[in-house]
Amino acid sequence: MKVIVIEDDASAAAFVRQVLGDAGHAVDVCGDGESGLRQARAGEYDAMVVDRMLPGMDGLQLLKRYREAGGRAPALFLSALGEVDHRVEGLQAGGDDYLVKPYAPSELVARVEALGRRRAGDVPATRLSVGGLDMDLLARTVHRDGQKIDLQPREFRLLEFLMRHAGQVVTRTMLLEKVWDYHFDPQTNVIDVHISRLRSKIDKDFERPLLHTVRGAGYRLEA
Amino acid sequence: MKIGRLPALVRTTTFRLALLHASIFILFSASLLAYLYYETAGHLGRQAQAELNAEFQELSAAYRGGFDRLNQAVSERSGARGKFFYLLEDGAGQKVAGDFDFLPAAAPEGQVVDVAFDYDVRDARGNPLRRSAAGRISRLSGGGVLMVAYDVGQLGEINRQITEVVWRSALVGFVLSLIGGVVISRSAAQRAEELARTAEEVMAGDLTRRAPVRGSGDEFDRLSEQINAMLIKLERLVIASRSAGDSIAHDLRSPLTRLRNRLEAGLRASGPETSRAALEETIADVDGVLEMFNTVLRLSRVQAGATGSFRRTNVAGITDELAELYEPACEEKHLTFTYAPEAELYVQADRGLIAQALSNLLDNAVKYTPEGGGVRLSLRRLPGGEVELSVCDTGPGIAPEDRERAVERFVRLEESRSEPGSGLGLSLASAVAEAHRGRLVLDSADGPGPHGGLAARLILPAA
Repeated sequence: MKVIVIEDDASAAAFVRQVLGDAGHAVDVCGDGESGLRQARAGEYDAMVVDRMLPGMDGLQLLKRYREAGGRAPALFLSALGEVDHRVEGLQAGGDDYLVKPYAPSELVARVEALGRRRAGDVPATRLSVGGLDMDLLARTVHRDGQKIDLQPREFRLLEFLMRHAGQVVTRTMLLEKVWDYHFDPQTNVIDVHISRLRSKIDKDFERPLLHTVRGAGYRLEA
Repeated sequence: MKIGRLPALVRTTTFRLALLHASIFILFSASLLAYLYYETAGHLGRQAQAELNAEFQELSAAYRGGFDRLNQAVSERSGARGKFFYLLEDGAGQKVAGDFDFLPAAAPEGQVVDVAFDYDVRDARGNPLRRSAAGRISRLSGGGVLMVAYDVGQLGEINRQITEVVWRSALVGFVLSLIGGVVISRSAAQRAEELARTAEEVMAGDLTRRAPVRGSGDEFDRLSEQINAMLIKLERLVIASRSAGDSIAHDLRSPLTRLRNRLEAGLRASGPETSRAALEETIADVDGVLEMFNTVLRLSRVQAGATGSFRRTNVAGITDELAELYEPACEEKHLTFTYAPEAELYVQADRGLIAQALSNLLDNAVKYTPEGGGVRLSLRRLPGGEVELSVCDTGPGIAPEDRERAVERFVRLEESRSEPGSGLGLSLASAVAEAHRGRLVLDSADGPGPHGGLAARLILPAA
C-alpha cells in the first residue's frame, strides 16, 4: 500500500514510517498541513495517516478540505485526545478511523491495512467467503464445507468483521470498537474468550484452522 | 451618558432602587393629592358659583316685577348681611341700593360678566385689609346695573391651606420614600456584597468559605445555597486533583523505578536474548504507566462533566450487552454468572460511560472472586423510582470501614495490592454515577465470605 503520513513531530513521523515500512508499505511523510494537503491531492494514495494537531492547518481542517475537493483515500487520525467526542469530531471531519497515542506498532499496522481493504471493497457484498467458510449476509447463515454452523448474533458480527478483514491482523481494541462499539479496554480478557468460543464453533471439527492468534497483536482469519 | 462615568454612589444598586422607589411614591401621592384637591377646594368653588347662580335667578325674578321690586329685594338682602354683597345702579350710573360702593369693572353691554377683584375693608381696629372677591355684573334690560359678589377670602384661605398641605406632604413623602428605598435596597445590596466578599475570599484561596444562608428561603438564600453547592464541588475537585497529583507521583515512582532498573539490567545483559526480554518487559511497564495516565485524564474529564452525550437511554440494553460480553469470561474462570434481564428501564445517560462503569465493576468482580464463586449482574427500579444497576460477587468484599476510601483515586486496599490495576476503577465508576446525578454505593452482598462479598450498586435517577 502507498501511505501518506502527515505528522509534524519528526521522531513520531519516523516511527510511523519505520513501522509501516517494516510491514511492507510505501510511506511518504509531510511535516505540516499545507504541504500535506497538496501532496495528498497530487499523489495516488491508498491510505492517509493524519496527526490531529498540526501547526497552521490542523488535521481536522486538512481532511475536511481534502474531502471537499473530492479526495477519497481513507484516513486514520492519530491523536492524544481520545474521548468519544474527539473521535466523533474526527469522523465528522471525514476520517475513517481514529487511533489514540500512544499506540502499539501492531495496532497502527492493523488499522492502516484495514483502511486499505475498505476502499477495495466499496461494493456492498451479500456473501463472504474464506477458505471453505461461507457467510450469507442476507440469510444470516454460516456454512463451512457445506456444514451449517449456528452462531449467536454477536458471534455472527464478530465473524463478519474477521471475514471482511481476512488475511489481516485484527486487534482486540479494533474488535471492541467495531463489533461492540466500546471505546475502553476492559481489564478482563473478554475478547479472547469470545474468540475462543467462536473458534470452537468454526474450527473445532475441521482439520485446518482458519482463526489464528497473532502473538502480541491480535487475531487473523486466513485460509 | 455613559454608565462608567457616573459617580460611584449613582452606580450602586442601592441608589438606583431608592430613586425608583421615591419616584414611584411621588407619582402615586401626587395623583392622590390632586384628587384630594379637586374634591375639597375645587368643590367649594363650584358650590359658591352654584349659590351665586341661584341668587341671580331670584333677583331676576324680582326684576320682572319692576325696578322698584328689584330695589326692594336688593335692599332687603343687603340689610340681611348674608354671604353676598350687592350694588344696584340706575340708568344714570348712580347707586340706588346695596352694600358695595363701586363697580370693580365696566358694566358689559347688555350682558352678564363674571369678575374677580380685590377691595379694601377696615378691620375692627381700623387697619386696611385687602380682600379678594368674585362676582357677577349684569346690565338690566330697562337701564341700570346689578352686581352680586361674594368674598372669596374664606375660600382662598382654605385653598391655600390645602395647597400647602399637599406640597408639604409631597416633600415629606419624597424624603420618607427615599429613606425607605435606601433601607430596602441596602439590605439587598448588602447581601449581594456578602456574596461578592465570599467569592473574593474563595478566589484568594480560602476554599472553605461559604456564602451566608439566613434561612428565610428567599432568592438570596437560594443563590447562596447554589453558590455553596458549587463551592463544595469545587473544593472536592481541587482536593481530589491535589491528592491525585500526589498519588500519581507516588504511583509512578514505583513503575518508573522498576523500568529504570530493567533498562539498566538490559544494558548490562550478556546476550541479545536477555536484553530483548528486558525491552519487552520495559514496554509492558511503560504501557501500564500510560494506561494509568489515560485513565486519570478520563476520570478528570468525567468528574469535570466535560464528556458524554446524555440522552434518554434504556439501560437494560446496556446490561444485556455487558452480560453477553462478560458471561464467557466468567465461565472460563469457573465463576457462575447470573443475569436477570429487564425489559425497559430508562435513564438520562451516556451509553459509553455507563458501559465503562459497569465494565469496571465486572472487572473487579471477576478479578477478586475465587474460582467456583459467582458474579451477578442485575438491574431494577427502586421503590423511590431510581434505577439501580448492581454487580454482586462472592469474593472477599470490602470491610465496612474501608468502603468509602475504596472509591477514592488510586486507593488500593491492602488486600488488592498484589493484583494488577491502577486503583482507579471504582473512582471512575463513582465519577460516572455522579456525572449522571447518581451515586455509587458499596455494600456487602450478604454472602458467606468475611465481608459477605461485594455489592457495587450504581444508583441513577430515572428518566
